[in-house]
Amino acid sequence: MTRVAAPKILLVLALALAAVYLFPLYWMYATSLKGASEIFANPPTFWPRDPDFSIFPATWERRTMDTFLWNSLVIATGVTTLTVLLGTGCAYVLARYRNPWIDIGLFAILMLQVLPASVMITPLYVGFNQLGLLDYPRTAVIIAAAGKSIPFYIVLVRATFMSVPSELEEAALVDGNSRWGAIFFIVLPLARNGILVLAILTFMQAFGEYIYSKSIITTQSLQPASVGLSGFLGPNSTDWNGIMAYAAMYVTPIILVFVILQRRIVSGLTSGALK
Amino acid sequence: MSAQPQIELVGIDKHYGSFHALKNIDLVIPKGQFVALVGPSGCGKSTLLRSLAGLESITGGTMRIAGEVMNGVPPRKRDVAMVFQSYALYPHMTVEQNLTYSLRLKRVPRAEAKMAADEVAKTIGLQQLMHRYPRELSGGQRQRVAMGRAIIRNPKAFLFDEPLSNLDAALRVHMRKEIRALHDRLGATSVYVTHDQIEAMTMADHVVVMRDGVIEQQGSPLELYDTPATRFVGGFIGSPAMNFIPGTIAADGKSVTLDLDEGTALPIGRSLEPGRKVTVGLRPEHIEAVPGSSGQIVLPVAVVESTGSLTYLTTGGAPELTVVITGRTDIKARDTVGLTIAPERVHVFDAETERAI
Repeated sequence: MTRVAAPKILLVLALALAAVYLFPLYWMYATSLKGASEIFANPPTFWPRDPDFSIFPATWERRTMDTFLWNSLVIATGVTTLTVLLGTGCAYVLARYRNPWIDIGLFAILMLQVLPASVMITPLYVGFNQLGLLDYPRTAVIIAAAGKSIPFYIVLVRATFMSVPSELEEAALVDGNSRWGAIFFIVLPLARNGILVLAILTFMQAFGEYIYSKSIITTQSLQPASVGLSGFLGPNSTDWNGIMAYAAMYVTPIILVFVILQRRIVSGLTSGALK
Repeated sequence: MSAQPQIELVGIDKHYGSFHALKNIDLVIPKGQFVALVGPSGCGKSTLLRSLAGLESITGGTMRIAGEVMNGVPPRKRDVAMVFQSYALYPHMTVEQNLTYSLRLKRVPRAEAKMAADEVAKTIGLQQLMHRYPRELSGGQRQRVAMGRAIIRNPKAFLFDEPLSNLDAALRVHMRKEIRALHDRLGATSVYVTHDQIEAMTMADHVVVMRDGVIEQQGSPLELYDTPATRFVGGFIGSPAMNFIPGTIAADGKSVTLDLDEGTALPIGRSLEPGRKVTVGLRPEHIEAVPGSSGQIVLPVAVVESTGSLTYLTTGGAPELTVVITGRTDIKARDTVGLTIAPERVHVFDAETERAI
């Protein structure tokens, strides 16, 4: 392998892997546009023979997607707000103070990450039931899902805060700022990229949240799109067309957000965003 | 200079848990003085400076700035400016915004702040850089911005925390003079922390040598050089460092019998109690070296280092002595050399207490 060839081989490899990763996405769009018989054609057609775009408005109407997507939006916004508000403060404190208790706290937070939602849901359900939170099922889901996303957020935002030298804060204090002022006008602007990226990731994750919503929200008009999608899978009918059209409309906004912000997201995750 | 001290520290104590970082520090700094706090790392000099800024709280004593008690007053109400070792420029602000940050916090009108910034920029030569970000500046330029940020506030005192340690040697020597000149021009009161005794000696009016949280000695640079109060100060001030040789006061009380092989006697120019265990301190630049064996101490030469203007001799065996000779010499390594020193230039420290006697 010569030095000139190496980057080209890597490029080919990258394209091949990307194709493998992106194929399911393509298949989702393609299948949604195919006719009922073409879906089951053997061998399958790679490109829909007779694309039918009317499936999108029809599915939107039939499955009341506006309600489902609105609920997803409400839940994702709630989770993100709660996570950013609580997580940022917590991450700041964990970044600035060093003592054994902080280490224990950090370890406990990391442990929370280990517990899967499917394990947590039963105790949470019982707890929420006793607190009467099940009468506000979306709020209950927001609290549960935020509890799940906060540890991840804290650990990564803490790293961002640690990349902001504390001498900057001290300089601001001596320059005449208060402790809060130094945090808001010096530290937060410098940690902005990291916070923004993690907020977006949290939002996208909460937008697709399923387990808590499925278990806690029983009223259909309050369910998010993820739960609405599972409603397609009845015992004897499998409307692949509709499922794929629904899925396409569900994920396209998320994909768009990711594509638009991807440069920021990558740079925010990889660099300390300073200097 | 007015009669009232600008900074007055009385019996300052600082504990970190069980660690006693500052022990009963007394220090008076008159208005307009340039004071250097110097000592090895961990001696408490930075802690003392940070306590002055209000970044650390003190556990005992009274701290006054311009006559007002400052114990427990938050940094923003102390009206002191600090220059940090890493400069601590705000990376998301331009040079101009960095300079005017403190003024904007004080709600000084925009036009006035801009005028002040221009004025300061002219003083320290930053006019061309006002719209750059810190990351686009060189080390020396960042250093100037950090200085400018302090100057613009016209504070009651300037606090410097090893501001030159990130610069290369040539720039450091240059900035040393510039900071001192700026201090004189502004008539400021400055406290300057450094671990470099040359910086302290060349810049300060008053040098405070600290060690393990106590002030070992304070005074003018030459006072410290001429009459070190302890063995530690003797070794710390002056470059190359003072030579130390253990010995005993001889029976006549007027000379020291050095713990060398032949029991060399060295006159000390004063009378001390015979038999007392002492350590003799000899500055390398006060020792005269003559080839052969005619001096007071005769030792073989191990290393000869020539810089052109000065020649450094290091003797072999114990004790390893350093001698500085102005100009050049014919003495070569492995020669035998005779060393002489004027009695009034011999420093004598008690072997137990290490205090000068």
